[in-house]
Amino acid sequence: MKRVAWVYHPDYLLHTPPFEHPESPERLVAITDHLGRTGLIDRMFTVTPDYPEDADILSVHDQEYLNKLESACRRGDLTLDSEDTYLNRHSFNIALLSAGGATAGAKAVAEGTVDRAFCAVRPPGHHAGRDVGMGFCLLNNAAIAARYLQARHGVGKVLIVDWDVHHGNGTQNIFLEDPTVFYFSIHEHPTFLYPGTGRRWEIGKGKGEGATLNAPMAPGAGDAEYRTTFEQMLEPAVERFRPEIILVSAGFDAHRDDPLADLQVTEEGFRFMTRHLLALADRFCGGKVVSILEGGYETSSLTSCIELHVRELLGE
Amino acid sequence: MFVARTMKKKIVTAAPSTSLFEAQRLMREHNIRQIPVVSEDGTLLGIVSDRDIRAAVLPAGLVPGFTAGKAEKFMKNTLVERVMTRKVVTAMLTDTLEDAIVLLHDYRVNALPVVDAAGKVAGMITRTDALKAFIDALGVGEVSSRLEVVVPDRPGTLAQLAAIIGSFNVNITSVLSTRHVEGGKRANFFRVATLNVGPIRKAIEEAGFEILNPSKFLLP
Repeated sequence: MKRVAWVYHPDYLLHTPPFEHPESPERLVAITDHLGRTGLIDRMFTVTPDYPEDADILSVHDQEYLNKLESACRRGDLTLDSEDTYLNRHSFNIALLSAGGATAGAKAVAEGTVDRAFCAVRPPGHHAGRDVGMGFCLLNNAAIAARYLQARHGVGKVLIVDWDVHHGNGTQNIFLEDPTVFYFSIHEHPTFLYPGTGRRWEIGKGKGEGATLNAPMAPGAGDAEYRTTFEQMLEPAVERFRPEIILVSAGFDAHRDDPLADLQVTEEGFRFMTRHLLALADRFCGGKVVSILEGGYETSSLTSCIELHVRELLGE
Repeated sequence: MFVARTMKKKIVTAAPSTSLFEAQRLMREHNIRQIPVVSEDGTLLGIVSDRDIRAAVLPAGLVPGFTAGKAEKFMKNTLVERVMTRKVVTAMLTDTLEDAIVLLHDYRVNALPVVDAAGKVAGMITRTDALKAFIDALGVGEVSSRLEVVVPDRPGTLAQLAAIIGSFNVNITSVLSTRHVEGGKRANFFRVATLNVGPIRKAIEEAGFEILNPSKFLLP
């Protein structure tokens, strides 16, 4: 059995919506309940993250944006820009703690304390850009973890695999011109789903050209299409890139029961993706995988998918 | 959506006495394919394209013994006024972008010099510029969700839809309304600035409108 870090902080529940909203603390309550009940939390190494260093956040986000976010929370603003991205008085701190969860998972894996990590964090991150929060996201957790690994653990090349059903426009933009961070996203086609980016011709810019790869899926696509894409698109890209560690932007909203999208992926699809990625990690980067929670809004499928995801990480 | 806003205002022009060699050099330097030819006071006299230049040089290239050096000499000695198109399709400063795309389409040209009332060149608009203007107008690439709603072709439906979307406190970033393939109906496309478009879809359906559901686009 593999050693897996379970990164979680009870304060993640403090970021609460001021109105009905799909990205709610109940998601994490359901996850912790389910993984507790199935005995899986006991089989992982619990890591309680701390607030990250300012420098780690500033490696991705502008100070000006952080000031704006902090003062909006202090003022008691209900939203950042639109009702998608709500705030309360805790949100700034919890967003930092969420990023701290991603870096804590990355640290544990990079230092070899564990083989893999699952970071049950919120708010999610992959829509957040350098100077903007949107789509439920305030700080880009995966991007911060990638930069953290490069700055503090001597990691050169990082692969981010984003299987949240929405395209991670924030992550893509942050690393658009960076050849050292390869961003792969599989998501519902932008014609049919927010944020409307992630078309197949978005492949990076300048020195980063070729280090971004997008696989938009037609509405109705499911396990078979995801499998083909992983085998025929992701695998050759990983073989060429040869990452030193793999981060997963693990959203579970491509599931057929999720209300926010139109795809048909099942638990088996997420099991396959996890297994396939772990095999790639074993081949290229000593099995190092850090999985960071993004979306997934239907608690029953969210928890059953994460159960299988964690079981695969544990190498059952 | 006026030509005056979309057109390039800083443009490269040539005089009738400019050589083909110089015109080609200007095109390469500025990465353009057409240059308006103007008189000293800026009045439009013609337009010269990279194709015009190629067409002028090419026949000579078929003569045996014609070398690169000779081609250069020929281009230096031949003036733009000999190869330029004199009947130029132009846009007026007061034309709309729609006018410009009709001209570009109907006359099968790649670029329109934009002239003022006195016939002087005020700018240029190319097919690429026009496409870019429509990419912007359609909100392509802007962070949003896209909705396609089929409605009966009668007054007030667009307002009704906008009111429903507005009731969710969500901005509409782009709207397009076109005839639908089915007679008596219109298709309305909205881009709305929210990730959570499900409740809006539901409300629109509950109001009795048909949402073009993504699953209907599924290819076999």
